[in-house]
Order: sequence, then structure tokens, then C-alpha cells
Amino acid sequence: MNMESLERFTPWRSILAEARTAPAEDVLPPLGHWRLAVGDISLLVERRALWVGALLLLALLVVSLAYLALGTGRLTPPAVWWALVGHGDPVATFLVQELRLPRLVAAWLTGAAFAVAGCLMQTLARNRLATPSIIGIDNGATAFAVASVVGLGTSLAPPAMALVGAATAAAITFGLASGGDTRGYRFIVAGIGIGAVFGAVTQLLLAQVPIDSANAAYPWTVGTLNARSGGAILTLAGGCAVGLPLALVLARSLGNMRFSDAIAQGFGVPLRRRRIQVLSLAVVLTALAVAVAGPVGMVGLIGPEIARSLSSSRGVPLIASALAGALVMVLADLVGRLLLAPIELPVGIVTAIVGGPWLLWILLRPSRNPA
Amino acid sequence: MLHVTRLAAAMAGLTTLLTLSTAQAASVATAHGEVEVPDSPERVVTLYEGALDAALAVEVTPVGAVTTRGGDGVARYIEAYLDEETRPAIVGVVREINLEAVLAERPDLILAAPQLSDEQYTLLSKIAPTVVPEARELAPDNWQQEARLFGEALGREEALDSAITEVEERASALAGAIAEAGEGGSANLVRWMPQGPLVMSDALFSTGMLAAVGLEVTDAGLVSPGGAHSDPLSLENLSRLEGDWLFLATLNEEGDQALDAARQSAAFARLPVVENDRVVPVDGQLWTSASGPLAAQAILDDIEAALLP
Amino acid sequence: MAASGLCLRPRRPAGLWRVMILLLTLLAAVAIVSLMLGAGEVTPGRALAVLTGHGDDEATFVVGALRAPRTLIGIVVGISLGLAGALLQAVSRNPLAEPGLLGVSAGAAFAVGVALWLGASAATLRIAVGQVGALLGCLAVLSVVRLRGMGGDPVRLVLAGAAFSALLASLTSLLLLFDQRTADEIRFWVVGSLAGRRLEDLLAVLPSLGLALVIIVAIARPLAALALGERVASGLGHHPGRVRLLVILAVALMVGAATAVAGPIAFVGLVVPFAARALAGPDIRRTLWLCLPLGPLMVLAADIISRLVVAPSELPIGVLTALLGAPVLVAVVRARRLPTL
Repeated sequence: MNMESLERFTPWRSILAEARTAPAEDVLPPLGHWRLAVGDISLLVERRALWVGALLLLALLVVSLAYLALGTGRLTPPAVWWALVGHGDPVATFLVQELRLPRLVAAWLTGAAFAVAGCLMQTLARNRLATPSIIGIDNGATAFAVASVVGLGTSLAPPAMALVGAATAAAITFGLASGGDTRGYRFIVAGIGIGAVFGAVTQLLLAQVPIDSANAAYPWTVGTLNARSGGAILTLAGGCAVGLPLALVLARSLGNMRFSDAIAQGFGVPLRRRRIQVLSLAVVLTALAVAVAGPVGMVGLIGPEIARSLSSSRGVPLIASALAGALVMVLADLVGRLLLAPIELPVGIVTAIVGGPWLLWILLRPSRNPA
Repeated sequence: MLHVTRLAAAMAGLTTLLTLSTAQAASVATAHGEVEVPDSPERVVTLYEGALDAALAVEVTPVGAVTTRGGDGVARYIEAYLDEETRPAIVGVVREINLEAVLAERPDLILAAPQLSDEQYTLLSKIAPTVVPEARELAPDNWQQEARLFGEALGREEALDSAITEVEERASALAGAIAEAGEGGSANLVRWMPQGPLVMSDALFSTGMLAAVGLEVTDAGLVSPGGAHSDPLSLENLSRLEGDWLFLATLNEEGDQALDAARQSAAFARLPVVENDRVVPVDGQLWTSASGPLAAQAILDDIEAALLP
Repeated sequence: MAASGLCLRPRRPAGLWRVMILLLTLLAAVAIVSLMLGAGEVTPGRALAVLTGHGDDEATFVVGALRAPRTLIGIVVGISLGLAGALLQAVSRNPLAEPGLLGVSAGAAFAVGVALWLGASAATLRIAVGQVGALLGCLAVLSVVRLRGMGGDPVRLVLAGAAFSALLASLTSLLLLFDQRTADEIRFWVVGSLAGRRLEDLLAVLPSLGLALVIIVAIARPLAALALGERVASGLGHHPGRVRLLVILAVALMVGAATAVAGPIAFVGLVVPFAARALAGPDIRRTLWLCLPLGPLMVLAADIISRLVVAPSELPIGVLTALLGAPVLVAVVRARRLPTL
């Protein structure tokens, strides 16, 4: 099989750059794709993916603007602009710059990280329920963060402890599931077991402290974007800056791994190594996001789901997932802030209530396509 | 020292813009260092039940407060001190404070709980001077120190001191009356749960009030040092509750129901204190989580009603 | 080995009855230990005196009124959870199908949360709400039946259960946000425990347990036939659909009763059938027999440990079974290839 026909046959993910030596006009772009060529380098773009990406980005921008404008204090779009550039009314400037903007950024980053991690793991396991949060990473983070809040033998701040907890849960899970099997199933089941243990530990902790401490630990048990740690957000931003491009690179072989192992190997994918890399990346992204917002795992399910329903069936819609995850997160937090004002609903609860029926539908519908 | 610089920046910048131009004379020692507070704050937001209690005790009605129960209001014993026109606006629940709602009240002083997270403090302190009491080991007189700090921040130290003195005087008067009536002795405070009772520490606010009226409060050695209550107690160890009085806290309005439930347990029914009918059902919300001068008075009301009928 | 697939009577690892007698002896020993040990001041010696009829008042009270009901409840809870796990695993052909993992515990906790929110008090909250939890558990289990289309992929089912649990847990959290009192009380309920349960609680759920047992006796044979495949079962004159429905009914009754009495206790339904299968081989009837002593054995042993490790208080038994169960869960998956039942 020569390079060219392999190229046609392979469902390459859309926006990946393909450096080529052959003159561009020799090769027809595959159906539904555009080729953008600059000199010797040409870029193969799937049209639909481009449209979906643009659409999601537009929606994200609109919702973000609404996010900055709406709340207990309402602002007009021009007022938002003046507040952003720092020339507005001081209260509005404070409202936008100190309260809403950091929260919005946290929503973007956590949403994207959760969704990309979810998409990676779903593709790996060929199961749309296999997201990092469901397999215990969230529970590990919650248990450690709660321990920190209720003041048990640690001086680390809750976000740092959440990170440690997520890492611990993931490390134990990796340890137990060593040897790696097809689709990372051992990893998933070991993770669910570990998650159950950490869940029990969290409940034990909460049952032993005064209600005031249990209240203080509450945000870490549901997930919220209210007054998050700046340090954790910066760390997550760094993680996303490295992790998302890495995810795109890995997605190339991941696209092939959707087929059976034999076919994937036929494409020359080093299966074992690639599986571990993908799992690790998903775990790291989730851990960093959990350290910011707590367990908002449902986004890792909803984001890729939206992305997949919009995108074509080929490939792994990572960019669309990231955008959709961020969109869901911003929208959910906006709803949580507005719905019962002045009382805020934590974003984790909103996503669970929105995602819940969806989840049930996935579970209960006739299995047309058992994925 | 990061706090101090942040604080200074906040003071210089936003606070002056937001607050009325009151002279900033007083400075109080909080968990986050010295905080300058306005002379006579007019728009106070309380994010802590103890702070709401202390403010009302010195006749400052906050413009904003967090809910305690059920999502729609403040604790029951507090209701008596509020009138409809000046009711504080709700700015969130204890578990999730709505920072925008706090900002919308344009406070010039914020009183918060010792458990306030650092991130929330950073933001709140940019809205207005935020007073957070030092988190301390449990002790029966913690509430006095917290209330005094809040009183100081409100610029009403004397009023608060006299509120505390009133509580102390009433307690010692009650102690005399109880001793005279021969109703004194020892007491336990217990929360009844299906898994087993929780014995409350003798270092709590409410157990401190019991001690103040001359009752000898014990936790029967069941509460680990620093803990607020024991683990759910094995029924086999119920006999360790040897006090003359048993205060049975329940979070429901129907305290009698909890008592009925408890009575159905054989191990409970055979306690001497139950046989002598010296079990007092009390409001768990007030007895196990409130603090402040008004709560103290409410608890003393309960004690008086039970011991001196 | 080639013949074993055709053999209708699987090999006997060790005579079933010999294993049974051994386990029953062990169970009796554990039950006696459970009567003798406790967090209180009644020593094993004094308790033993009660058993031989010479105990003092205090000891007689503690053993008779506190430890005996608790032991009895432990036995019943163990039987229910063990059998329910074995049945569910047989009917879904999935060694990981454990009622707790599939969302029954989360369902019960949610039901209790709603009840507390509506104004009940944890101190007076008993059986009725647990039964509502069972109903929600049923829902979870029913969704499992739909999932049977997923065929030989055991992990999918567990994932679905974990997702379902996560959903219910979030809904419970929503209640807790608004209601301090519920929040304050439910944290003590969500960790399962045998402490402080009364015999009346047990009596209240006995009818449903009896019904469940009748169902099990009636469907044991068709269930075993079903293990050979739907066609074989139909050929032998059974109705696979009806059998499955009955199994789910029995499971819901048993898990509901156990959860109502003791709160959510996870992983018993996983560990016990796992051990039973290891001892009895694949025949579901033999597995069910062995679950009878193994379930109580695990629950009582965990309960005894829970009484002793942090005496004079008690560690919730749910935490212990979770610690015990997670390694077994992993062991099941670590088997060379995931067994389907």
C-alpha cells in the first residue's frame, strides 16, 4: 500500500497538518475536505469539522459575553467592554475583572480539560461512559481535598491536596491494572473499585467532623467555580497548553485504534505504548481540572457527546470536544448563578442535572450502536 | 505578608470607592492580620451565624446574611430580633456564598466565619474590610472572643461586652436558683442518631452554657481531644452516660419524636436518667451549631424552662 | 478440557456438602465471637457465661438485647446481599454485577435524602424509606436488563452503574445545598452499619425476604438452564424473559430489605458470589447454596472488626466492606480474560 492510498483510506483527523513532499496538485483531497497549501506544506481540512469548530467557537463567545454581563449585577455589553478595558464604573470593573473573568477562564479551561480527557478515554475504551471522573479520579481528589478542609494532618491547601488525591487514585489504579489489556478495561474497573473506596473514606470523614467543617468541605464534594484558587487555574492553563496539542498528536493513532486491534496494528500503531500515553494524558488533564473546580465529571461525558453528534462519524473530535466542554461549563455555571439567585447552584450540580437525563438516555435506549 | 500587601492595595483602591468616606480609625486583629475597619459601619454583611447573632445583639441589623436552614431564612431564634423592613437580604447559603450578591449590597464591613477559604477571603477583602476570627481549638468561651471581635469591628465593644455580661449574670442567677431548687448535678448533651447517639464535647458553646448554670458537663471520655462530638456510640456504651440530666438534641422541630425513637431502644430506656424522666429534648440547630449572645440567651431560656418549671 | 463444555454436570471441586458443613461451622464460630466481643465493657468471659446460662444482669442484657439482634441482623443482611449478588450476576452473565456498584446504594441514599428533606428525622427514619430506596434500586436493576443487549462485555454494565450512582449522588448533593438539617443528618446515614438496629426492623422486612426466597426456589432450575444459553433453556420448556423478571424482583426485594435495615453496604454482593463460584464451580444452584453461609460470614466478620478497631466507638461496616471488596473487584478483572458467566 503506497502512501497515497493509505492517506485516502485512513480517517485522518481533520485539522492535522500533513507535511508532504509531493506537489500538491498531484493529490486530490479526500471527499468533504479542503486542502490549504502554503508552499510545500499543505493542510488537509475536513469541511464539516471546520464548520462545527466555528459554530461552537461562536456559541462559546456569545455565552461568554452573556456570562460577563449577567448576574446579580446586570451590565450592558458596552459596559462589559468598558469594564474589561478598565475604564468603566469601578464597581462594574471589579465585578467583571475580579469576580466574573477569572471564573469564566476557569470554566473554559476546566470544561475543555474534562471534555478532552473524557473524549480520549471514551475512544480508548470504545465506550462513551468511560470518562476519567466515573472511574474514581474525582473521588480520590474529593477525599483528599475534604481531608484538607476538615483539617486532618496536612497543611497543604485543598487544591494541592485535590491534585495529590487525583494522582494517588490514578497511581493506585495504574498499579493494580498493570500489564494493560485491550481497551484499558482493567484500568477502568480498578478505577471504579478505587473510587468506591475513596468515596467511603470521604463519607467517613464528613461523618466525623462538626457540621461547620462539613459545610466548608461541601464545594469539594460537588464541584464549583466560585472563588477558585488562582494558582490552580494557572497550573491548569499550563497543563492545557501542553496537553491539548499533545492530545491532538495522540488522536492520530487513536483514530486508528477505534478499529480492532489487528487493524490498528496494521496501521503501525504501537498499541501498548499508545494506550498508556493516552490514559496518562487523560488522567493528568482531569487531575489538573479537578484541582480547580472539584468533581464536575459530567462535563467529560456531555462535551464529547455534543461534539460527536455534531461531527462526522470519522475520527476523534478532540477540538470540538474541547470547545463543547468549555461551552457546557460556562453555560452551566451561568445557569447556576442565575436560576435561584441570590442563591448560587454549584456548577457540578447543574451539569449533573442536565447531564443526568442524557446519561439515562444513553443507558436506556435500545443499543443501536453499542458504543 | 502577601495578605497585607493585597489588603493594602484593596484598601487604597476599591474600598475607598465603595464605602462612604468614613474615617478609618479602628483596626482589629483578624485571622488574616490587622484589618482596618470604618468607624461606624452602616452596611454590614454577615456570612456566619455567630456574626449575625453578635451584630443583632448590639442592635446592628446587617444588610445581608446567609441562610441557615431550608434555603429561605435565618435561624428560628434569630427571627424574633428582625423586623420586616430591615430584614437582611440573603446573599447565599453557608455552603456557597454568592460573591456578586455580597457586592450588590455595597457593604462597608463583612463579618465571616473562621472556616472561610483563603480564595474567598481574597475576593471579599477587595469588596470591603473582612473580619475573620482566628480558627481556634474548641473551647466553651470561643464564642465570647468571636463576638468581641465582631463587636470591636462594629465599633460597639461596650454594647457587646454588656451583652456578654448580661448572659453571664443571668447564668449565675440561674445557677443560684437551680442550686436552691436542688436540681443541679451532672449533665450530658447527646444527639440521637439511628446508628447510635453522638455525645457532644464539653468544649462546645452550648455545653459551656450548661456549665455556666452550675451543671457538671461530661463527655464521658468519649470525645477525642479537639473533636466536637464522639463517633456514633455503640449502644453497649450508653451506660457511660451517667449524668443526672440528659439533653437530647434533634435537628427537627419535633424533638419529642426523637425522644420517642430513643425510648424504643432498650439500651436507652434502661438508663437511670431516662427512668427518672430527666431527659430534655432541645433544638439541635440552636444547641449544636449556633453561637453568640442571643443564642446564649435562647439556650438559657431552654435550660430555665426545663430545670425550673 | 474439550469435553467440559459439553458436560451438563460440571466437575465438583470438593464435595459441596463437605464445603457447606465447613462453612456452617465457621459461621457458627463467628456468630459466637460476635456475641462475645463488643465495644462495651462486657468481656468475652462474662458473655460466655451468659451463653451457658450463668451470666450477670448487665451481661445478659448486653448479649441478649444488643448483641444477639445485631448478630441476627448481620446474618440476614449477609444472606440477602450474597444471594442478590449471585442472582444478578447469573442473570446478567456478568461477574461484576453487584447491586451496590449498580447504583442501589446511591438510590437508597437519595431516597433517604428526599425523606429527610421532606421533614422526616433521621432518628425516626426507618424501614419505609429504605423500601423507597429499593424501588430506585429496582430502576437501576431494570436498566441493567435493558443493557443485556451489550452481551459479553461485563465492564459496560459496571460503567453504567457507576454513572447511575454518580447521577444520584449529585441529586443528593443538590438537596444538601439547601437544607442544612438534611446535610447534617444524612452524613451519618450514608455509611452503612449494623449498630443500633432493632429486631422490629428485621421483622418488618421478613415478609419480603420470604417472598424472595420462594421466588429463588422456584427459578433455580430454569436459571441453571439459562446458563447454558437461551435456546437450551427454551428447549427445556422455560421462559427466559419471565425468569429474568422474577430474578430482578427477588433481587430488588432482598437488596431493598437489607439496605433498609443496615444502610448501604457495598461489595458484599461481589465478594460473596466470587468466593462461592471459586468453591462451587459454575453451577448457579451450588453457588446459591454456598452464598447462604458465605454472606453472613463476611458481614459478621466485617462487623466484628468494625466494633473492635476504634473501640469504644465503632467504624461503619460499609467502609470495611469497601476496603475488602475493592481488591476482589480488581482480582476479577485481572483474571487472564474477563470471564463472562
